[in-house]
Amino acid sequence: MNKGLIGCLGIGAIILFVVLVGGCAVAGSYNRLVGLQQKVDQSWAQVQNVYQRRADLIPNLVNTVQGAANFEKSTLTEVTNARASVGRVQLDPNHAPTDAAKLQEFQQAQGQLSNALSRLLVVSERYPELRATQNFQNLQAQLEGTENRISVERGNFNSAVQEYNTAVRTFPTNLFAGMFGFQPRPFFEAQAGAEKPPTVNFNFGSPAPAATAAPTP
Amino acid sequence: MEITLKLTQLDPTVRAGLAVLFRMTKKRARLCLGILALFASAMVAHAAETIPPKPDRYFNDYAGVVSPGVAQRFNEQLAQFERETSNQIVVAVWRTMPSQSSIEDFTQRTFRAWQVGQKGRNNGAVFFVFVDDHRMRIQPGYGLEGALPDITCNEIIRDAVAPRFRANDFEGGLSAGIDLIFKAIRGEYKGSGKTVRENASSQNNPAGLLIFFFVLVIFLLAMRASRRLGGYRYTGGGGPFVSGNWGSGGGGWSSGGGGFSGFSGGGGSSGGGGASGSW
Repeated sequence: MNKGLIGCLGIGAIILFVVLVGGCAVAGSYNRLVGLQQKVDQSWAQVQNVYQRRADLIPNLVNTVQGAANFEKSTLTEVTNARASVGRVQLDPNHAPTDAAKLQEFQQAQGQLSNALSRLLVVSERYPELRATQNFQNLQAQLEGTENRISVERGNFNSAVQEYNTAVRTFPTNLFAGMFGFQPRPFFEAQAGAEKPPTVNFNFGSPAPAATAAPTP
Repeated sequence: MEITLKLTQLDPTVRAGLAVLFRMTKKRARLCLGILALFASAMVAHAAETIPPKPDRYFNDYAGVVSPGVAQRFNEQLAQFERETSNQIVVAVWRTMPSQSSIEDFTQRTFRAWQVGQKGRNNGAVFFVFVDDHRMRIQPGYGLEGALPDITCNEIIRDAVAPRFRANDFEGGLSAGIDLIFKAIRGEYKGSGKTVRENASSQNNPAGLLIFFFVLVIFLLAMRASRRLGGYRYTGGGGPFVSGNWGSGGGGWSSGGGGFSGFSGGGGSSGGGGASGSW
């Protein structure tokens, strides 16, 4: 009788121990996932910030360029259109996207704006008096700085997502990640054609530069 | 026989340490070798990375375009600026960019690695110059993007520095660049009167303590082993191990008396702002 009681107590203690240790492990993993997810959301907010910064520069840029004598209209409308379509793809700035398709759409719209802007800068080479103005030089410095900030923050976002995804997918956190609703997050893909330098058309006699960027399917 | 002869000529502590090593089982020795190999591979991997190591001063002329006296003066100016404002400004002049990447990518990664600026404030800035490439860049940390916006960086480069560089006046160009950066960001933050390194050397460095204890433990083990081996009793005072200065990372770099003010990154970061230019 006595022996049985001691045995029961022993087994009970072991079970309690296992439950306690297990609970601690689950709580630890959960806290880690929450921390990583917050980091992803924070870096997403930064990404949105720098994209917004660029969008805010565009009205001023368009005004400045319009002032230049007979500036090529098609380049300008392309920028304005791209700016407008960027405005249509609105994602929550405080929470990183969970839907890969949404992020893809966002990235495509922003990529079009990037292309339009870089084409505008290339075309502006033909207007030396425009490039000589203080206003244009300032805008160009801001645009370059912002483009660089975008690539930096995109990189930060990607590494935050990768760290989070690794945690979600690897043992032992993956056992609880699904249970608590932690799903892997999408991240920015390298731009199609970004690995090769853009071709610049120096034939200024032709009416408009041929589409330099390969059309994205 | 020859080996033993040589062994007797060695310092007693070293001999004792070797004895401990010999007493190890083969398995342990293999583990040790494995760990050593790991360290070695880590060092090789480190060498392959193109990011230059953290500089030990504020003004770093790796290209040799500025005379030592002027470099010293710049360095003290920059150190004094950190004492007054806590802003960390670092100048780095190279012959060519030590990387195949774009200048913006290189400077961004270097800035991150050097951790210029105070933690939390991110109030650092680095002025990069690549003499033979005729390229330069001023890159502020997050906390100085307001005081040193891209337009200002661009203006400093275009109007003040580039014309002097074009005339081969590197001292003048760098001096003008440093002064204009100071002018733009002075008043943004208040300093504590000390640089990061001066603060670190006045406090106890936990890493230094750890190394000290590690050495102490090895030392004690060696003593025990030596006692067991031949009844040899080590009665000397310090011994060769303890003579180094383990306490602080930079006790010798403090200002005054012919030394230079050393730089230690405060943990700041950058988001890729700033402007590049050429001449």
